[in-house]
Amino acid sequence: MPEPQRGRLWAVIFISSIIIAAAVYISLTNGAFDISVMDVVKTLLRLDPVHEHDLVIFDFRLPRIVIALLLGLGLGIAGAVIQGIARNPLADPGMLGINAGAGTAMVLFMLLFHGSITGTGWLSIMAMPLFGLVGGLTAVILILWFAQERGQLDSQRLILVGIAIGSGFSAITLYLSLKMNPSDFEMATVWLTGSIYNANWRYISAMIPWLVLLIPLLWAKSRVLDVMQLQEASSMGLGVDVHQERKILLLGSVGLVSACVAVSGSIGFVGLIAPHIARRLVGLHHKRVIPISGLVGMAMVVVGDLIGKTVFAPAELPVGIVISIIGVPYFIFLLLKNRM
Amino acid sequence: MQKRRLNPVVLFAAAPLFIAVTILASVMYGAKSIDVSTITAAIFHFDTDSIDHQIIVSSRLPRVIGALLIGAFLAVSGALMQGMTRNYLASPSIMGVSDGSVVVITLCMVFMPNTSSLGLIFYSLAGSALGAGLVFFIAWLLPGGMSPVRLAILGTIIGTFLGCVSQAVATYYQVSQTISFWYNARLHQMDPGMIKLIIPFAVVGLALAIILSKSITILSMGDDVATSLGQRTGWVKALSILSVVILTGISVALAGKIAFVGLLVPHITRFLFGVDYRWIIPCSALLGGFFLAWCDILSRFINSPFETPIGVVTALFGVPFFLYLIKTKGGGKHA
Repeated sequence: MPEPQRGRLWAVIFISSIIIAAAVYISLTNGAFDISVMDVVKTLLRLDPVHEHDLVIFDFRLPRIVIALLLGLGLGIAGAVIQGIARNPLADPGMLGINAGAGTAMVLFMLLFHGSITGTGWLSIMAMPLFGLVGGLTAVILILWFAQERGQLDSQRLILVGIAIGSGFSAITLYLSLKMNPSDFEMATVWLTGSIYNANWRYISAMIPWLVLLIPLLWAKSRVLDVMQLQEASSMGLGVDVHQERKILLLGSVGLVSACVAVSGSIGFVGLIAPHIARRLVGLHHKRVIPISGLVGMAMVVVGDLIGKTVFAPAELPVGIVISIIGVPYFIFLLLKNRM
Repeated sequence: MQKRRLNPVVLFAAAPLFIAVTILASVMYGAKSIDVSTITAAIFHFDTDSIDHQIIVSSRLPRVIGALLIGAFLAVSGALMQGMTRNYLASPSIMGVSDGSVVVITLCMVFMPNTSSLGLIFYSLAGSALGAGLVFFIAWLLPGGMSPVRLAILGTIIGTFLGCVSQAVATYYQVSQTISFWYNARLHQMDPGMIKLIIPFAVVGLALAIILSKSITILSMGDDVATSLGQRTGWVKALSILSVVILTGISVALAGKIAFVGLLVPHITRFLFGVDYRWIIPCSALLGGFFLAWCDILSRFINSPFETPIGVVTALFGVPFFLYLIKTKGGGKHA
């Protein structure tokens, strides 16, 4: 395996941080209401509080940016892990039906507790990722059960089963959402297309525990992921309990994806593309790929949201759509270039 | 070679009876139940003042005929695709065919809002060709791109992409609702005029499929075998794709996206009647029609008095079946 120099790794981290910072800066200052840099700094540092600035920055722009960053981080890392487990560069949490499973659970949640979701209850907001997790886990358990044969987990079959389970869950979601009352239905459709309009600090605090808990866990397993890229027998020979580890890693990444989906609806392609870019930049070691694809994911979602906000203004495009439109041609270009 | 398990002639002999029963059931049950004597009266002595007669002639009958036809079209295109690509997961709904149509229809509604129904059918066809062409072109450029898994993944990705493009355009020009009416399965508002319009296309598509069926059987043994038997595989493939595009394109134009019929029915047909595409294609057409028509009837009961989208009902059967296929056949090459 070619080992890129340490300098390159830092350069990549540096450049992607600059991109993220630039996007954050533009998102903070531009919009329906322009705020100068000085005012932003003043507001953030609480130097000279102006009520309007406080409102725009703390209630509208900042939560949205933070959510975008967290989503990118979570989805990018989950994607890297899932591609590692499936040993298939085309795997993606969305394609494995995890998004759809979490989505169904969320719609069920909205149906059961309708009215209270817009509401102020901490309980209901904190319960959202949990419900998402239950849905995502159900999807994964079904997938594992169907994809497993005599204790073996075939990675090709994993993806096919994922596609099937995903469309099954989408059908259930459609059915459930038709049983909703119109206002909840509206909310569910907006949420399902992968948007972060209605970001607020509660969603962020509901998401953070999952990220804080799971990302270190997954990163700590990066050596195991490296070994898993070998043939199964060789990994066994190196003393890695492939089946056990695979389940732990899968659970961890499902947790991440579910927390993200619960907040934002399904944003596709971040988990597919970010790891590709990361691998091209820093080689194949998961110890590096995992954090870098987190960074790349952050950049993707923040920039995507910025584009969705500004290009079609005053109409807004959900960030999920922006990312697919830009990401898919790039992804196909990658496929063709690498002849994968 | 697999043994033929059931004589297809049986199916053809029973078909008229089945069709009659299906139509009768579909006309009778629904939000308003209608008895047999009213139906016969509506057909033979149509009375413009009777509400029941109006329901039968302008709503229920077109609907069941539409369901039978669309089921047949989708099943035949699925069978063609599965035979041609030797890929047991090939089906029009996961190959970008319907999404391509949606993109073009969206553009059309935005930039040429006055297009006639016939024009829309043409654009829908062009869009299907575009979607399928894109998926196959990229699959062809990639090594191993034609393997079941690769093709399914590429189809899903490109389908999502096309779907997102049309959603973006629709959002920008604020025609989302019109578009979602157009492509979300809308069997319940089948327009008798549209059915008449698509008949010429359907005849061409089905005739192509039947003429090609023998070549498809040979092709399904592999490109090498087909070439050494003196077949011009390029032509057969091109014509098959043309037929698939026509049949799927008109289905989307008539009723929007309906998944799983094209995947499921050809497998059932192969299971029942063996591997000869000369039989598979006509039998798929019949079984596909029955399948969709009965799904449509079922859709009125699952959540009555509301109707369930037909896509949900087909998924109800399709997903378990898809899983079963994967469980028994795995990621391997050919069914």
